[in-house]
Amino acid sequence: MHAPLVATVVTAGLLLALAGALVSLLDRTGRTADRVLLLLAGVAEAAVVVQSGVAAAGLIGGHDVRSTPTFVAYLVGNAAVLPFAFAWAWADRNRWSGAVIAIGGVTVAVMTGRLVMMWQGRA
Amino acid sequence: MGEPSVPPVPDAPSTPTPTPTPTPSASTARGAGRVLVAVYAVFAVAAASRASVQLATRFHEAPLAYLLSAFSGAVYVVATVSLARSGVVARRLARAAVTTELTGVLVVGTLSVVAPDDFRHPTVWSLYGIGYGFVPLVLPVVGLWWLRRTATPR
Repeated sequence: MHAPLVATVVTAGLLLALAGALVSLLDRTGRTADRVLLLLAGVAEAAVVVQSGVAAAGLIGGHDVRSTPTFVAYLVGNAAVLPFAFAWAWADRNRWSGAVIAIGGVTVAVMTGRLVMMWQGRA
Repeated sequence: MGEPSVPPVPDAPSTPTPTPTPTPSASTARGAGRVLVAVYAVFAVAAASRASVQLATRFHEAPLAYLLSAFSGAVYVVATVSLARSGVVARRLARAAVTTELTGVLVVGTLSVVAPDDFRHPTVWSLYGIGYGFVPLVLPVVGLWWLRRTATPR
């Protein structure tokens, strides 16, 4: 796995989780909160998409993982997490929308961690 | 100030409600409930996908563990969908699914502690969900609490 991409995804995902949690806990919904969440999610999602593409290329190039279907499912699923999180959160805007986005951020970071383990043959 | 003491009428919802008939209970998928449904959705997709791969590629290795995996996946899917929907039927289904989930994590968790040899192939519920940060143990408790909390009109 591409280390700088992994670092970007995990950092952006966890920052998104933190920001989302704060928006809900402190009840700070509004345009500023939306902008921060969208910016962090945009960075995270872009990095996830590139990361999935690079990993898929590596797989095609001959890199071996223990379970190819699981690995591919993670690559595709990881890119789908944040769009789904935003769709679900934005369909009913309230103070808890931030927490929904936060779940998405944590999920992306955890899935990326699992991807790294699979890539290294540890899972 | 306080809520008016008239029967609850949905006050001009910005999004179209999925069911035409208003239910007497608060929706389980509104407000903080959206966070609960989001967590359930992650577990539903994770458990169901994992079980599909296990059943499709190495079912013969541990039929019981992988069938259990598939069962837990199905329970999470039912819980997610029923919690996300409103109505009496969805609420009843959600309560059944979440109760099954709590029973499952307690039974499988306990069995995996007392008979570890029979549970070497991990499932979501092994060791009370230790592999998933004990979220599988906490989730049904929160789910039942949320179902109870939203059961009365607000």
